[in-house]
Amino acid sequence: MAGEDGKDKVAPRTTEGQRKLDRRDVLMGLSTVPALGLFGYAWRKQNQVKQAAARAAVAPREAAAAGDVREVNVALLGAGAQGQVLTEAMQRIPGLRFRAVCDIWTEYNQRRVVNTLKRYGHEVNGYVDYREMLDKEPAIEAVVIATPDFWHAEHAIACMKAGKHVYCEKEMSNTLEGARNMVLAARETGKLLQIGHQRRSNPRYIHCHDKLLKEANLLGRIVTVNGQWNRAVAADLGAPDRYAIPQATLTQFGFKDMHQFRNWRWYKGLGGGPIVDLGSHQIDIYSWFLGSNPTHVTASGGLLYHDPKTHEWYDTVMVIYDYMTPAGPAKAYYQTQTTNGSQGYFETFMGDQGTLLISESELNNPGSIYRDPNAPAWDAWIQKGYIGAPVIPEAKDEEEGASGAIADVRESAAPDRHKVPVALTDPYHQPHLQNFFDAVRGKARLNCPAEVGYESAVAVLKVNEAIESNTRLAFRPEDFKVGGEA
Amino acid sequence: MSQPDEESGLRIEGRRARDARRHSHEAMHTVFEVYALHPDARYAAQAAEAALALTQRLERDLSRFIANSDISRINRLEAGEATRVSLETLECLVIARHMFEVTDGAFDISIGTGLSSIELDEDALVVRATQPGVRLDLGGIGKGYAVDLMADVLEEWGLRVALVHGGFSSVLALDGPVDGEGWPLTLSDPAAPARVLARLSACQTSIGASGLVKGDHIVDPRTGEPVRGRRAAWVAAPRPATRGQAAADGAPRLAVTAVTDALTTACMVMSVDEITALCARSPGLEAWVLEDHGQDGAGEAGLRHFGGMHSDGPVALQTGDA
Repeated sequence: MAGEDGKDKVAPRTTEGQRKLDRRDVLMGLSTVPALGLFGYAWRKQNQVKQAAARAAVAPREAAAAGDVREVNVALLGAGAQGQVLTEAMQRIPGLRFRAVCDIWTEYNQRRVVNTLKRYGHEVNGYVDYREMLDKEPAIEAVVIATPDFWHAEHAIACMKAGKHVYCEKEMSNTLEGARNMVLAARETGKLLQIGHQRRSNPRYIHCHDKLLKEANLLGRIVTVNGQWNRAVAADLGAPDRYAIPQATLTQFGFKDMHQFRNWRWYKGLGGGPIVDLGSHQIDIYSWFLGSNPTHVTASGGLLYHDPKTHEWYDTVMVIYDYMTPAGPAKAYYQTQTTNGSQGYFETFMGDQGTLLISESELNNPGSIYRDPNAPAWDAWIQKGYIGAPVIPEAKDEEEGASGAIADVRESAAPDRHKVPVALTDPYHQPHLQNFFDAVRGKARLNCPAEVGYESAVAVLKVNEAIESNTRLAFRPEDFKVGGEA
Repeated sequence: MSQPDEESGLRIEGRRARDARRHSHEAMHTVFEVYALHPDARYAAQAAEAALALTQRLERDLSRFIANSDISRINRLEAGEATRVSLETLECLVIARHMFEVTDGAFDISIGTGLSSIELDEDALVVRATQPGVRLDLGGIGKGYAVDLMADVLEEWGLRVALVHGGFSSVLALDGPVDGEGWPLTLSDPAAPARVLARLSACQTSIGASGLVKGDHIVDPRTGEPVRGRRAAWVAAPRPATRGQAAADGAPRLAVTAVTDALTTACMVMSVDEITALCARSPGLEAWVLEDHGQDGAGEAGLRHFGGMHSDGPVALQTGDA
């Protein structure tokens, strides 16, 4: 840091006597400070410290683990918001070597992800056309696909036919035909196809399914399910003017204009609207936890709020599914709306002995289980560590107790709340990606293979159909199969 | 929830500033806002949304309250263990460590649990612990860092007339709403918000604020003792013009609001001599401290000013009428 050297640089003052914090004057002072002033110095110093310190003092956990696994060459196809989240999560998975990034938005998302990956030490090439990438990068063994839904089938099938394993974001496809062809391609090629319903690999969801529901049966018979994903109003996605994609490229890749490119989720033929983007994750869990696919769907929805010129899908959807579970009939409600974010997202499974409230979030509703007062004690499960000890509720108001009543007859007695003692400690998508790469190395089975993703797509895509036809629609068990199963 | 960071004692005022469109989002236990003036309101809203979306992403990396954040993973490291972090987490930690050194430990994200036992490997983007038990809390720097990144997004979109802040405790003014004038800001007594202590006109300037309301306390990480005699502190510094370019070239970026955010916390605990010395060796840096000579924040409070580019002694601030 330099000493005082700005003595002659007195800032002008306004007549009102206000201070002017004028950038130029101050910068003249700052620019004379070696190494970019206050912060640039930090970076330089860090580098010195780092060089001095023996870098190999303690090997990072990841690097150490990486020595035990075979390196897998990876490409990212689709470098938008979701592709970036997956890329970030993959940096924590040992033994991955990124080779290529493919995205049509070269000046923005592609460049950003390529730069990030280079910063993480990967030598990657950028591509606009996935076919060119597949031609020129024979070393790629696995492709992670996060393109818009209407591209999934073509991309996933082409990659598998080129001999690559595929991790494909949900929704598997915007059409059942596309999803079916993906399943068939996976079977034909013998390649792995994992669908991005990442809760299937989340340790908390696995714990709830395997231990709390299946083994301990803590909820008893589940009769109703409730869930939601509510989002506050947000502006349409835009793009910095200077980075607009040329119209010819947009047209070539199926987009009417830049606005549609950025907001494809709202357009028919491209995406499926919030029920597919958001609902798909949670409706997938309904079927998983209930152990069966739905028999019927009733739904109401509409474009109640957003501008129909730029929004084709429903901004508000309410759905009721009927299930015939191994334990008996059940009904499940789900809603998604994009005009008010009240209570965010969660799923609630309600049985005759307890209630499970769960969400993927580590911040809101990460996992609570409530024992019905009439259910058998859960002490043994607490001792086994399956659930936490009851959370002591805060003392009730004096006034409330002063009424003299033992219990208010209008309300059921309050159940005990226990925490689900399993948290996700890695970034959100990491375990599902890890499961995929473990499978690529022959060390695991996929948690959400193509067939499971297909079942979920059947249940979810039917909602838009039910809204359109305004009737209760039935599923046949064979609807959930693509045919030709072994 | 109650109005967060009500005690920051930093406000925006004036008619022209109110003409700016405001966009807000809640994250990191505060409300982030973007004020922007742009002929195309829809475009500006989309830019603001893109900037605000960053706060959520950063919270996911930086919050110690989220079990799977980078910081939570660092806080769980045993001796000899390491974890990979995002570019942003690493950059924020680098700045935090530097602020620790610059303030002689008065700003300490480890709150005395041992920042020196954390090693940062910038090439591998790995954080390594040499001792167990370190507990990092980026509460005093993360908001400012988010504000810096948000401003980069706005500039990328071509929005230059804008002000970004997190709970008004981390403020970054870009170009002002009227040519040649900055954004009109006030510094006021957090214990008596109507009492305006100073008015500033800020452009391409970052200002951090830290203050106490009655009953709060702040602990000096160097002694573990609560600090007495300070009611609020503000720190201002110019935003370097080279930030965007530096980032594009892969050179270190200058996250000035992260710096003022950290220094404002430090100024609540540093001695007058220390603050004077810090400002003297950091041209462009400016600080204000509201001293509290009474009991429970009720007594006399005097504003002290440090640094800045003015070499002719304390500047005649326009003081409030309260």
